[in-house]
Amino acid sequence: MDILNRNNMKRVSLIALTLLLSISAVTLNAQNNRDRKKSFQSWDNYEITTEKVGVDGTKFVKVWGFAKNVDAAVMQAKKNAVHACIFRGLPGSETAMATPAICPNPNTLEANNDYFQNFFAAGGPWLAYVNMTTDGVPSGTDRRQVKGGYKVGIYVQVMYDNLKRKLEADGIARKLSSGF
Amino acid sequence: MLKRLTLILLAVVLFSAGASAQAKVQNVVTSEYNRNSVSFVAVQRGDTYDSTVNSVVTGFNPGQKFDINKIQTGTVSVRKARSESLYRSEIDAAVAGIPFGREILASIFNRDASGMMDDNIVRYRGNYDAKDQDVINARASRVGVEALGDMGHRLVGSSYLIAIDFYGVKSEKDKKGNVTWSTSAVAYAYKIGMSMDSLNDFYEKCWIYEDDSPAVREAKRRAFSEFPVDMNPVASSSNSASGKKNPASAMSACLSGLITGLENSIDEWEVAVAISARKPLRAKIGTKEGLKNGDRYRAYSYTEDASGRLVSVPRGFIRATEISDNIGMAMGETEPSEFYQISGIANVDEGWTIKQSNDLRIGASAAVRLGGFCSGASLMFDFDYIMDVKTNGTMQYLLANLGFDLASLGVSNVQIGAGYAYAWHLSRFFEVAPYGAVILDHLSPFSSFSSSESEYTFLERSAFALEPGVRATFSMAYPLQIYAKAFYDLLLQTGSYYRDYNNGMGAQKHKNDLGFQFGVKWTF
Repeated sequence: MDILNRNNMKRVSLIALTLLLSISAVTLNAQNNRDRKKSFQSWDNYEITTEKVGVDGTKFVKVWGFAKNVDAAVMQAKKNAVHACIFRGLPGSETAMATPAICPNPNTLEANNDYFQNFFAAGGPWLAYVNMTTDGVPSGTDRRQVKGGYKVGIYVQVMYDNLKRKLEADGIARKLSSGF
Repeated sequence: MLKRLTLILLAVVLFSAGASAQAKVQNVVTSEYNRNSVSFVAVQRGDTYDSTVNSVVTGFNPGQKFDINKIQTGTVSVRKARSESLYRSEIDAAVAGIPFGREILASIFNRDASGMMDDNIVRYRGNYDAKDQDVINARASRVGVEALGDMGHRLVGSSYLIAIDFYGVKSEKDKKGNVTWSTSAVAYAYKIGMSMDSLNDFYEKCWIYEDDSPAVREAKRRAFSEFPVDMNPVASSSNSASGKKNPASAMSACLSGLITGLENSIDEWEVAVAISARKPLRAKIGTKEGLKNGDRYRAYSYTEDASGRLVSVPRGFIRATEISDNIGMAMGETEPSEFYQISGIANVDEGWTIKQSNDLRIGASAAVRLGGFCSGASLMFDFDYIMDVKTNGTMQYLLANLGFDLASLGVSNVQIGAGYAYAWHLSRFFEVAPYGAVILDHLSPFSSFSSSESEYTFLERSAFALEPGVRATFSMAYPLQIYAKAFYDLLLQTGSYYRDYNNGMGAQKHKNDLGFQFGVKWTF
């Protein structure tokens, strides 16, 4: 009887182990999908690289955006480029130095929430500070169909100096001379 | 014990299936394509054909797609009878014995007898290779369009040496005394072993500047003569030609096929670009990339797998229709060529990548024919060749067919035909093609059927028929298609023996009649 019980216990344990491992494999994938979806939707989670030193007063970057369709993803990518110039700064590359954020203070966004809600609104002032320089539509590996929409990479020229002057004039960014 | 093992195995399989999906490494097709440069050398076998081989190879122009590196050495010797093909090791050893790598560098950098070099060719090629996006990027950056020439430096690593060997050169004489020549050919491709690091090393050690002292100049000249540049074997292709008037024309006929074969083997040689517009499909390639009407490209879109890794998804095939003349430097507004989609469930979309996917443009089919001038069933082998493709989906075909009447009594039957078809695509899956063909219907008694039949006898045993008809083709899963034909066979001119044999066939007699044909077709 004992032997029978022990055999049953072993069988149950093995079945449980099998189920556990299978479920863990499935949930691992599901977790990955959730993480990715979340990362796409996050304002702060986008990739940006400095392509080359831009012409005077501009920054020339490649930036990625995600949205339900290509046009919306392009718009999001352009917005991301302006966002990066203001809050994140631009990373350096082989051919260009890193650029610091116009508003390096991490509390700037929260402190000026209404201003930036208006600034980044659809058709808002931010559009005046960015030009897309991609030839035609995003193409090749820069145009990826992913779950929930499209992820696109575009080349963008940000009017960095103009953007900085605007934020300084609006009292959002501090002028370098203001400390002296 | 067995159950336990099964359960453990099942658990491991289920777990690893989830994990392996993430670990899988996939080759991603990209729209990255840059021009390549080539140098041709003739393989000399030490026989009377050597000079012909040399002149054929020297005079060969591979077209606009490639830049040519004019190197000093035009031949490589392998002492082996021309009746035999070479082993790869034999040609590799011969190529390794000559400093082709340095000769290519000397050509690209225009090196003169004093060891002085310039980068004019490199800068020209950099500008010539630049795409519209490169031009736009350059304009948006401080370095400006002047820097486009710098892109030529990376093209040094895309230099190839092609050694071409002809073997099995022979002539045949027919009954009338006409001599025809045939030959086989192999092209062996080698890629220069120059990374950007080794190129920088080359500039540092071998580049002579105006203000270098004589001692430094001498040291740099010596450094160049010792600079190691490997030529790495990457691919080979073979071809053959026959029925030509002389050895040179037989050899010349092989050459373009050899390049096509190498294109199929060397990934970097396959042109890739993004679709720039829909309706009609357009892409910014043209004569500069050697694009020709009817050339086939495969379309890819991109997605990411569950782990965020890039995956290219094949989405169908398209053919080039209107070819733009894009020879010249890109200015940011290159005129695109047009294409027509021939397969794929989804419509090829803007931004997708298309990549060269050479085919022979030949469709081969096997079919059963009912009716026509044969009363019973015939077995048919049809071939078509795409001559021309238009953006609206119309295509022109050359047709050829070979058929056998399975129900002919007492005689053997062969039908040989040639024709022309003009096709409309109602959708990319469905094609309707009116056609006309001339068919030679040949009857001969079983006992006397032979290839040694005289021309007179052959014609007297034959009839010529005209066949107007229409072919409807449905693409099942490209390149597999099914088709049906409806046609009318009209016997025009019949030989005297043909009439006798035909009358002897009774009810199976060949006559003017309506017929149908059903078959499957595969496009190569």
